[in-house]
Amino acid sequence: MVVRPYNDELQYLQKVSDHCWRIKKGFQPNMNVEGCFYVNSRLERLMLEELKNSCRPGAVGGFLPGVKQIANVAALPGIVGRSIGLPDIHSGYGFAIGNMAAFDMDDPLSIVSPGGVGFDINCGVRLLRTNLYEKDVQPVKEQLAQSLFDHIPVGVGSKGIIPMNARDLEEALEMGMDWSLREGYVWAEDKEHCEEYGRMLNADPAKVSMRAKKRGLPQLGTLGAGNHYAEIQVVDEIYDKWSASKMGIEEKGQVVVMIHSGSRGFGHQVATDALVQMEKAMKRDKIETNDRQLACARINSVEGQDYLKAMAAAANFAWVNRSSMTFLTRQAFAKMFNTTPDDLDMHVIYDVSHNIAKVENHMVDGKERKLLVHRKGSTRAFPPHHPLIPVDYQLTGQPVLVGGTMGTCSYVLTGTEQGMQETFGSTCHGAGRALSRAKSRRNLDYKEVLDKLDQLGIAIRVASPKLVMEEAPESYKDVTDVVDTCHAAGISKKCIKMRPIAVIKG
Amino acid sequence: MLKLKLEALGHPTPSDVALSDRKEFASTVLWVEDQKIRLYTIEDREKLRNIDNPAIWEEGYLSYCADLNMPPLETQQEQLAWILSHAVRLEFLDDPAQFASINSKQGPPQSNGKQAQKRVQSIFDGKINTQEKEFVDAVRLLASKLNVPHHPNHLLQLEAVARVVHERLSPAAKGRKPVVGKPFPFDKGNDVVSSNDPALDLPMRILRLLQIQSLRELQTHINETIVAVQNITANPKTDTKLGKVGR
Repeated sequence: MVVRPYNDELQYLQKVSDHCWRIKKGFQPNMNVEGCFYVNSRLERLMLEELKNSCRPGAVGGFLPGVKQIANVAALPGIVGRSIGLPDIHSGYGFAIGNMAAFDMDDPLSIVSPGGVGFDINCGVRLLRTNLYEKDVQPVKEQLAQSLFDHIPVGVGSKGIIPMNARDLEEALEMGMDWSLREGYVWAEDKEHCEEYGRMLNADPAKVSMRAKKRGLPQLGTLGAGNHYAEIQVVDEIYDKWSASKMGIEEKGQVVVMIHSGSRGFGHQVATDALVQMEKAMKRDKIETNDRQLACARINSVEGQDYLKAMAAAANFAWVNRSSMTFLTRQAFAKMFNTTPDDLDMHVIYDVSHNIAKVENHMVDGKERKLLVHRKGSTRAFPPHHPLIPVDYQLTGQPVLVGGTMGTCSYVLTGTEQGMQETFGSTCHGAGRALSRAKSRRNLDYKEVLDKLDQLGIAIRVASPKLVMEEAPESYKDVTDVVDTCHAAGISKKCIKMRPIAVIKG
Repeated sequence: MLKLKLEALGHPTPSDVALSDRKEFASTVLWVEDQKIRLYTIEDREKLRNIDNPAIWEEGYLSYCADLNMPPLETQQEQLAWILSHAVRLEFLDDPAQFASINSKQGPPQSNGKQAQKRVQSIFDGKINTQEKEFVDAVRLLASKLNVPHHPNHLLQLEAVARVVHERLSPAAKGRKPVVGKPFPFDKGNDVVSSNDPALDLPMRILRLLQIQSLRELQTHINETIVAVQNITANPKTDTKLGKVGR
């Protein structure tokens, strides 16, 4: 890595508009394209402070600052357009979380990188609507939270309550949500309102290690730990009434359920296995990167293809996982209100993936090109009339579900034409960490965090309370800043804001 | 379309021509003849100049149509469209070199009429001559009963009739529940079409809505099929004994 004084580093950064910065070539060695990131004034300060700290003499260890990571990604072979940092960006393994990058499928040198997808493959957010209002739920929210907590096992080492054997798992890995449909855990309409229709067709369970399957099997239908959660939320604000009504959200106070989860230990193992393989492939094919964490392989190499097939299987795992939790949530609500999920109108509004790599067609320099789009901590946000979004959202643009931090708020955005042109149809995914987990543990007290939620009138059920400060709002950037930046930059449009009334967490 | 042609010919108020008004029609015809076609000498245009005297004007117009070799068209709109096209053609022939650089890479668009003819013919299996006067009259009558707008090609019109019958009058359509909910003006969505050209914007929006409608139909069929299969395969189970909350 090039080490320069902070002021020299700033020479390579240029503010091009109120909400967008450009990273010039030369900021890191061998950059094939430029980088950029989207921030507002507050996020900008965080971003530059991080860079400043890393420039201090003797600063070693930990991840590279986000800006540096964006630039390192821009140096990967086959990248097209720009390496893009979304407003919620923060350092991660290899790629920053909140970094998206697209690689030309027709360039034989183009690469796929597990670090560009993340360890929690197909981590994503699903939003269920109900026809209940806050007044219906407030009196019973404690019971409801408990009921959800009983139905959806949470925490590290939790096990699911949907019986599955090894054969079921193989089928689920191949079929994704179609498996959940066949077994009757979800509704036909759920599939329609899910990215990729809940199934990646190139999934191949044979490319997944035994170890990953063993880890994954008992975990299906569990929420997991870390930043994953299920929340009962109420609609707090509607910015775009018409788009909201297309999603079945009519008025403030309407109750929705947000599920944020991924592929659990299964995806983690798939990523770990792939990294080992790719280090070998890099040596063989002489692929040079700026950072060892950016392990990658050519898309067309055996390792690259194997990873894409295994990643697709992990993506399918995550969809089955979220589908199982959808089933359990519906059961919990139906029991609580003595009715059926149908009568509660508990439809899936949408299901987004924010850790995934997908083959998509985009316009680059006026020509249509087939690209492998890596989105790590970044949500797809396709504009109205895009053929890959559900028919119900053809006029509004794709719903983008942005989960906030515990106890703050969450948003629904919609995709825009401008986002399609500037960011390959990508936008933010959540609040984005501001403090590392270790730092949060040192600086915050878990009792205070829980008390604060209590004061806000939020019911909480948590499996490991002593880790709760890692997920405290103070540990994150302000999700409203993040969303407002995306809205102001035009890469997605604000539609609905929700606030939580009950949370269950790992 | 008429507006575009008027624009191309340099008409002073292309958007304000009221097509239903006979007098305005008359003055537009006169304008085109005066400015562009110039089939008659100035003296011979006298009858057409009598816009305020319909009887004389109509007489002049009838012979004008014949002299132009206009094919028998029924409505005022079609006739005007034909006259304008004729004028555009003359304009073009005055100086073809000027337009030499403009070409369409896709070649000439396939004629809608021919496709419709093929489709209808295949339905009747050649047993009925679709060009027979009796057939044409029947289609026109049907169309007027159902308020389907006139089109010079009766086969296209027949297709429109079929669509109206299918959407509104078939037993399935009659049993359908009316759509409830608040209607939303379809030109106010998030989608941008072509905000500075209403002539393009409106038809594009309508076509897109029709496309979305047929996609919705397809998706509903898919969902129904999935549900039918689920009736055979689905058997969701849970076993709370398996559950374990982590640390």
